[in-house]
Amino acid sequence: MKRAHPSHFAEQVGIDRRRFLEASAGAVGSLFLAACDSMGPKSAQSLLKFAEAKNETLERVLFRHTSIDAAGGKAAGGSFPSYFVSRQVPVWNEAARGAWRLEVGGLVKKPLSLSLTDLAGLPRIGYKLDHFCVEGWTAVATRTGVKVSDIAKLAGVDPAAKYVDFQSFDDEYHESWDIESAMHPQTLVVYAQDGHYLNAAWGAPARVYSPTKLGYKNTKYLTRIMFMPTRNGGYWSDQGYEWYGGV
Amino acid sequence: MKRHHPVVRITHWVNAIALTIMIGSGLRIFNAYPAFARKGETFCCYPFEHRSIPANLTFGGWLAGARNWHFAMMWVLVVNGLVYLGFIYLHGEWRDLVPRRGIFRDSWEMVRFYLNKRQDHPHQGKHNALQRLAYFSMPVVGIVAVVTGIAIWKPVQLATLTTLLGGYAWARYWHFLSMVALVVLTLGHIFMVFTVDPYSIPSMITGGYREDLSPEARNARPFVHLLPPNRTSP
Repeated sequence: MKRAHPSHFAEQVGIDRRRFLEASAGAVGSLFLAACDSMGPKSAQSLLKFAEAKNETLERVLFRHTSIDAAGGKAAGGSFPSYFVSRQVPVWNEAARGAWRLEVGGLVKKPLSLSLTDLAGLPRIGYKLDHFCVEGWTAVATRTGVKVSDIAKLAGVDPAAKYVDFQSFDDEYHESWDIESAMHPQTLVVYAQDGHYLNAAWGAPARVYSPTKLGYKNTKYLTRIMFMPTRNGGYWSDQGYEWYGGV
Repeated sequence: MKRHHPVVRITHWVNAIALTIMIGSGLRIFNAYPAFARKGETFCCYPFEHRSIPANLTFGGWLAGARNWHFAMMWVLVVNGLVYLGFIYLHGEWRDLVPRRGIFRDSWEMVRFYLNKRQDHPHQGKHNALQRLAYFSMPVVGIVAVVTGIAIWKPVQLATLTTLLGGYAWARYWHFLSMVALVVLTLGHIFMVFTVDPYSIPSMITGGYREDLSPEARNARPFVHLLPPNRTSP
């Protein structure tokens, strides 16, 4: 059925709809452009911090030692990205600093100083693991090393230790963790990747690796593991990335 | 008679703000690695691998800023969405939104009308068939976005969920696609509001709506019969 329509105001006066639409689109668009690519209002920062603290509480409630990463897919191999904060690939200078050793201290009964040979002598474990980068990419590698929980047992960690700081010789890089994540069975001090001892790009001689933390929490070029009663921030977490960085 | 309950109006605008910030910050996060392939692999199903989203469509300034916004605003989005869904369930508004029998046939009639293949506006209740589909899809896609988001937030602690979605890379892809769907639905919605029924804007602010200016009363399709009929003319 066809219906006759009353004539419309616009048809009579010939309002330029295109100009009207352009004007409205411009007004709405400028509102959005004002916010584009900005960090948002400064006053929101405290709210964002509040949300981060609440998220950490929830993430720690969700956290289970029985949640295990089982990586599928093929190893990234040579495509595995390499990150460090120094100007050049950090290499342990044996002539200047003596043989590399991993110091374990803080709230422990028996501080340790482990050579690479000592580490290799401890119970060895290897997992094929996902690496979750904060940027959004993942890469698969087999990580071989020693459980941090085994090192903690060896050092006799005090129950008052609630946090662990992983420090490096890559400039001032370090990241502190909650002790629960550090004691996860897949949290390792890694000295070999895909069956080879770590090269300088991958964090030689040893690094921390756990699939339960984002990449930036996993300190490379490891020198010291400190068990602490309080948290100690970290290289990226001090700059605005979440301190917890859990996966 | 008010067209939209205050709860619907408030949750609509809270959702508009939260969704805009979630999408902007999400795109900024995506730009840190604008691809889906695992390192050393290729990804079948995204034609723009390693091409960034234009920075002026993003929000957060840098990766950490965008993440902090994303992980704060997600709670606003989720809580607001639950309030909305809880309200329309308890208050009965869901009856105007859940697709009924014949929805696709009725939608096709709307499409024909919009394409000028049919002269008279199909008869409708509160919403036409296309609106029903869109307003029903919106929360459904929103739920997909939230679930896939949780899967890529906690791929180890909630590994079962991530595995169900095909693993981390695929979950990230579904999360991205759900965002695209929300953008398409939202842009379509905004386009139709401005070109077909701008008189519905007050109904989402004060609640008031003039039925005599409804698209059906004006026989309005995009850009056509946009302004009110001149009642003084013969």
